[in-house]
Amino acid sequence: MSLIQDVAGSGGPDPIPGPPPLPRKEKGSRGLSPGATFALRKTGAALGTLFFVLVVNFFLFRLLPGDPIGMYTRGRNVPPEQLAELRAELNRPVLEQFLTYLRNPFASTIDSAQFNRPVWELVTERIWPTLLLVGTAIVLASIIGVWIGIKAGWKRGKSFDKVSTGVTLTLYSMPEFWLGMILLIIFGVGAFGLPGMFPIGGISSPGVDTSSLAGWLDVAWHMVLPVTTLTLVYLAEYALVMRSSLVDEMDEDYLTTARAKGLMDRLVRRRHAVPNALLPTVTLIFLNLGFTVSGAITVETVFSWPGLGLLSYEALRGPDVALLQAIFLLFSIGVVLANLVADLLYAVIDPRVRS
Amino acid sequence: MRTGRRRNAWAALVGAIAVALALPLVPASAEETPSSSGTAEKTVFTVGITQDVDTTNPFTGIAAASFEAYQMMYPTLTEYSAEDFSTVPGLAESWEESEDQTYWTYKIRPGLKWSDGQPLTARDAAYTFNRVINGDIEQTNYGGYTSTITKAVAEDDTTLKLFVKRPSPIMYHLAVYILPEHIWKNIDGKQAKSYKNEPKDGEPVVGGGPFVLVERRKGEFLRFEANPNFYGGKPAADEVVFRVYKNTDAIAEALRKGEIDYANDLSANVFNSLEGAEGITTVPSVYSGFNQIAFNMGAALTDGTPIGNGSKLVLDPQVRLAVAQAIDRQVLADKVYGGFATPGSTVIPPLYRDLHLEPADPVGFDLAAANATLDAAGYTMGDDGVRVSPDGERMSLRLLGRQESSESQKVVEYVKDWLGQIGIEVDVRIVSEDTLYEKVGNGDFDMFEWGWVVEPDPDYQLSTFTCDQRSTDDDGTIIAGLSDSFYCDAEYDKLYEAQKLQTDPAERAAVVRQMQQMLYDSNAYVVTVYYDNPTAYRSDRWTNFTPQPAPDGVLLFQYGTWSYESITPVVEDAGDATSTAAGLTPGLILGAVVGGVGLFLIGYWLGRRRPSDYDVE
Repeated sequence: MSLIQDVAGSGGPDPIPGPPPLPRKEKGSRGLSPGATFALRKTGAALGTLFFVLVVNFFLFRLLPGDPIGMYTRGRNVPPEQLAELRAELNRPVLEQFLTYLRNPFASTIDSAQFNRPVWELVTERIWPTLLLVGTAIVLASIIGVWIGIKAGWKRGKSFDKVSTGVTLTLYSMPEFWLGMILLIIFGVGAFGLPGMFPIGGISSPGVDTSSLAGWLDVAWHMVLPVTTLTLVYLAEYALVMRSSLVDEMDEDYLTTARAKGLMDRLVRRRHAVPNALLPTVTLIFLNLGFTVSGAITVETVFSWPGLGLLSYEALRGPDVALLQAIFLLFSIGVVLANLVADLLYAVIDPRVRS
Repeated sequence: MRTGRRRNAWAALVGAIAVALALPLVPASAEETPSSSGTAEKTVFTVGITQDVDTTNPFTGIAAASFEAYQMMYPTLTEYSAEDFSTVPGLAESWEESEDQTYWTYKIRPGLKWSDGQPLTARDAAYTFNRVINGDIEQTNYGGYTSTITKAVAEDDTTLKLFVKRPSPIMYHLAVYILPEHIWKNIDGKQAKSYKNEPKDGEPVVGGGPFVLVERRKGEFLRFEANPNFYGGKPAADEVVFRVYKNTDAIAEALRKGEIDYANDLSANVFNSLEGAEGITTVPSVYSGFNQIAFNMGAALTDGTPIGNGSKLVLDPQVRLAVAQAIDRQVLADKVYGGFATPGSTVIPPLYRDLHLEPADPVGFDLAAANATLDAAGYTMGDDGVRVSPDGERMSLRLLGRQESSESQKVVEYVKDWLGQIGIEVDVRIVSEDTLYEKVGNGDFDMFEWGWVVEPDPDYQLSTFTCDQRSTDDDGTIIAGLSDSFYCDAEYDKLYEAQKLQTDPAERAAVVRQMQQMLYDSNAYVVTVYYDNPTAYRSDRWTNFTPQPAPDGVLLFQYGTWSYESITPVVEDAGDATSTAAGLTPGLILGAVVGGVGLFLIGYWLGRRRPSDYDVE
């Protein structure tokens, strides 16, 4: 869990609103159902945020000092006329650049100063590996984490709870790159008598056709270690959050009522306690989904995964303003969209929200 | 009921663990028989790289690995010899400057073919040169070589004439990759910018170098196949693969494990950990890079307008001399670079034997002499152990080190300590290279630590000390030139122009040496070390590398593709010579089957359990 995620996490979608709002007629609803009004309002807010990000994003990186062209061409025999031409591109009036950018932030005419190629091309090359890696890890982590959290929370204080809480706390406090390197050394290189079963890095092997079954299996084989690393780190968080919110529900009267009806313990848990306890975890899962795009730079580095994480690091050198703005815009879109989905989903899960 | 379910749960857990263990074991077995079926004899030489090839389009790439790829794919007119960087035939078997020095004639080898069978002639070379000369994006990487050339003409299939504005020794070493006209004529200047130049529909990229690019996966690897049409003959290695790893630890482990056959740019620690490992040979490899402590010798724009806030103290040659006397280069080489460096002197490294000047009267480490130098120049020791200049200024200097380099940070600490002992107070600041570049360009520094990698042609390196390379003013923004010491000497500039026009190698070398002496005497740079390129390779699989220069230079990432052409697989056990390339092996299929069955069993168990929940409800 990176710092950025933590910080952003606190500003995520609204948690369960305190006092349940009184039912009232929305002025502008014009016959729309409360649900639709809610969805419209949230979507509008998301669009607003996006526009804000779009603008800030452009000006923010132009505040960075530096002479990117000089940095990139240091040690290379580039004729002065060519240097002047490269600089001219960056020296275009800011307003003009801004308009080009507003028209289409990912236009093929916006070039990376560092790579002298369209920014969009660079980004699209890297985005799929990241989505594959982080997406898989988040799906796995949320399923396993929620399951562990429910088990542990429901039987609080029992041995499963003690063990799982201990393990998840340990995993949660572990730096992901460190865990990754340990896994790499044990299962990639081979230690303690184990053979090096997994590749040291990369996403596929040379000479294997990725469209064939062998290619898919090859990619899956390469994914095992990085996905395991990320899953272990993420699932700890989900398990802990799920456990604590379930524990909060445990003493609620409605559970006593359910039990009084004669429901089996398991059904009380599944039908009554879990749905209520799931809300904070859903928030967390979707927030993290938003961050899939930005990837996990440290894990990508440890396992030489060709994702966006490293590209954003490379873009900082110089700085490569055009590349930076495209990448950060993409990251922002990911987070804003995931937030929106979380908000909308919330309304579905918890009727109190949309009323 | 309860116990029954619990047993089920345990069974499932055991099953899941078994599946989890079985899956990974599979590729391991695939690795023991690395060559995929049907290609058992194919030998693959795999190079680990930490920076990916940014693009295989030779007009737009910037990464070092990219240029390594271009050398593999395309020929150049001449090459630098592996022995000593002298000029040897490449695509051209001979070359000659005309009597009146207005054009050069290159005799192209006859009867050559591109990898697709089309003839490779002087016309392709003329096309490439004209494209660069008249190009825009094409200028970025090669304009430096063609700035003196006005046009290229192919008189026939084997005769190329390059017309020049003035005589230039660069004509011996035009590192312009000759491209196939029949491919590139369909890609105009605009398209060239985003042209990928990657294999399409299984067809390799048409080339004329020792290898052709057959597969490329961004951020992962590049796969080359030996080119049977290469003028030097088909190389012994069937395939060369560049594999990207994002950290040197991973590279070292991959080498140890055998995923790759070659790794360089290793840190001293990693290098030492690989030393003595089975099947691995480690070599320090003499390299063409140097690092230096540079002084602000009067930052100014090209028109002479002073800029920045450099200290007046370092303008005094005696102060710079004292600093040079107070730096123990041997200690830096041993302690900071772990022995993988040699003490430095001049700006052309000694591996360029024909050009390097070894100073006749070298400045050695001698703190007493340094103190005496400062005493004699009138810098008196103050009560606090810091000297005071004749003008009454306290001798306190800023020294910038680089965040990106742990060596840089150690060097500046050593220097601070030594200068403290001669009464110069040093304020060390560690900044990013971006920041350093900007500060230096603006003249806001007294001293800094950085370095250069020097090409076999000394022109570029020598140009960094000319007056013209000082900073320029562009509408109020100061833009750095190549000069980072702001050394400016009319005599030096005259020599620079002279060597630029001198086409006789021996006479040019004499001028280049004279220039090095001037720089050395001025102490514009205190060249701290010439650093090595620690390298390790799988000697149990490959042999016959060609170092450049002989006998202890780098094995790959040379000026040329010498080792790729000369390496041969170790034959004892042919299976060992191939690198890992996991394919669809029986093991892999078995693993998939086992995994599938395991998943099915778990699913079955989960499904079965449900009714028992509801029957109680």
